[in-house]
Amino acid sequence: MSGSELLAVLMLLSFIGLVFSGFPIAWLLGGLAVLFTALAIVLDVDFQVPIGLDWNYASITVDRIWNVMENWVMVALPMFIFMGLLLDRSGIARDLMTGFARILGGVRGGLAITVTVIGLLLAATTGIIGASVVLLALLGLPVMLRQGYDPALAAGTVCAVGTLGILIPPSIMLVLMADRMAMSVGDLFLGAVFPGALLGALYILYLLGYGLLRPESAPATPRERVDWRVILELFAAILPPALLILAVLGSIFMGLATPTEAAGVGAAGALLLAWLKRQLKPGVLPEVLRETTQTTAFIFAVLLGATAFALVLRGLGGDALIERALLSLPFGPTGILICILLATFLLGFFLDWIELTLIILPLVAPVVVGLGFDPVWFTILFAVCLQTSFLTPPVGFAIFYLKGVAPPGVDVMTIYRGVLPFIALQLLALIILFYWQGLVTWLPAQAYG
Amino acid sequence: MLPHTWLSRRIDPLLLRLGQLTGWLWLLLLLTIVGNVTLRYAFGEGYIQFEELQWHLYATGFLLALSYAYQTDAHIRVDILHERWSPRTRAWIELYGTLLMLLPFLTLVLVYSIPFVHSSFMHGEVSQAPGGLPLRWLIKAMLPLGFALLLLAALSRLSRVWSLLFLRRADTVEAGSGSDHER
Repeated sequence: MSGSELLAVLMLLSFIGLVFSGFPIAWLLGGLAVLFTALAIVLDVDFQVPIGLDWNYASITVDRIWNVMENWVMVALPMFIFMGLLLDRSGIARDLMTGFARILGGVRGGLAITVTVIGLLLAATTGIIGASVVLLALLGLPVMLRQGYDPALAAGTVCAVGTLGILIPPSIMLVLMADRMAMSVGDLFLGAVFPGALLGALYILYLLGYGLLRPESAPATPRERVDWRVILELFAAILPPALLILAVLGSIFMGLATPTEAAGVGAAGALLLAWLKRQLKPGVLPEVLRETTQTTAFIFAVLLGATAFALVLRGLGGDALIERALLSLPFGPTGILICILLATFLLGFFLDWIELTLIILPLVAPVVVGLGFDPVWFTILFAVCLQTSFLTPPVGFAIFYLKGVAPPGVDVMTIYRGVLPFIALQLLALIILFYWQGLVTWLPAQAYG
Repeated sequence: MLPHTWLSRRIDPLLLRLGQLTGWLWLLLLLTIVGNVTLRYAFGEGYIQFEELQWHLYATGFLLALSYAYQTDAHIRVDILHERWSPRTRAWIELYGTLLMLLPFLTLVLVYSIPFVHSSFMHGEVSQAPGGLPLRWLIKAMLPLGFALLLLAALSRLSRVWSLLFLRRADTVEAGSGSDHER
């Protein structure tokens, strides 16, 4: 191993070690890039170890940041964030909860299914795990507990459905992944449709089965008379947000609009919806704009830091090193792929999807694609792996977010117990997607037909 | 919670104000996109200026947002251990992190982005697209501007950390400082 490769390894290890200091990740990435450039220069000049990095090379960071600035697809990102936050605030989720609960409440496990359906409809627009878990917890958890649901089942449902949001288009994670992988956002969105639906279906089947086998843990509400009025009210609650999301996705899928246009118009639609529902009280809009600013900023900060980090790591030969290390694993292509997914799963314990998408995905993707795997398929597997990781004890992000807002009766062990079955479902879905590639690749292929 | 200092009391309110103003850029961006789409689909006319205005607004937005998110402590941390440490330990990490990581990174970008903007200004660079926006240096200047604001915010935070670690006296500690929201 040459001197520069040793530095590359040291750089990666420093990052993983320093992350636990709790200092913001964006600045760690950028700072390590500068520090290791300086180190390389000192080694070069004072110790005659040829590394070949200089400040001129590090300064390419500025050109890379400029590329991010003039990237017109990424304009969609703040618009999707705004749209998601606004839908959260506009009381749409609350209306859906009451509507669905009146119809599905009569079924055993129906309330948990209600939470799942709402999560699928709305979390789709946020793609921020913390936000969707908190929203679903505040909305669904008290209702389920009051109904006499097993706290573990209730908590597990909220965690699992909350993390599913990062996978369901139009999620901002997929926009960012498409950008890093140089693929079309539409292709990735299309690729995620069936896997997302598969996971949703598995969750609902599980909840129905649970209700049948252990009715005392997921009781039905005393049956309310379901008449036309109730159904109409539910319809009125579902239709606007469902139409909005379908319009956004549909216009991208049919090639009518670019993701940027769809995001902007979708955000305007959400604004209109909130206004029509008289939820746009004074202070709501500034608050949503403020949060959009914060969320956009922390995503782009990591993006900028990771840009500098990746640049210097590549200059040290880190990319080639990782490629060689992966290819020298004593397995076939499938074995290497499984190793990568396993590593992703483990890294997901302490890194958020933003870092993994921006640092790890660009490092491993060329290797996987070079082995002949389909890039969209791999990216979706990567995404499902991440989602599973956020759900898995001891340090899943979703668990921590839920713990933060859960009522006193729901402790960490209860949540752990509740998420276990969902982790099994995630693994089942991963296996299905692994052996049945068509579930991911078929839909994007149709778009070109 | 960090104590406020002479410096932070001057810098922080300014940056907070600016951050709140930055939020309205998203609304402006939204209107620009909607206007653009309307023009294109309803009247069949595309204006390259408006298309470019979109990413100009977006780039300005995220660059100005960096310092606001820094000040409100919204940037992502891995807080598995961080939450359990005492305020003093956290302040030490903040001190070393800022000095060894954040400031060098800011310096790198500032030192090399200023010539980047300057050369664009000297060449009178404009958009290469026909009918594109003029004054390319202006949007490029948002990069050093955003990072300079971040530098200001970092200096303010540094003074507060310094004050907690080395000058802590009763009169510097204020209850309920307004800028330490948890995400």
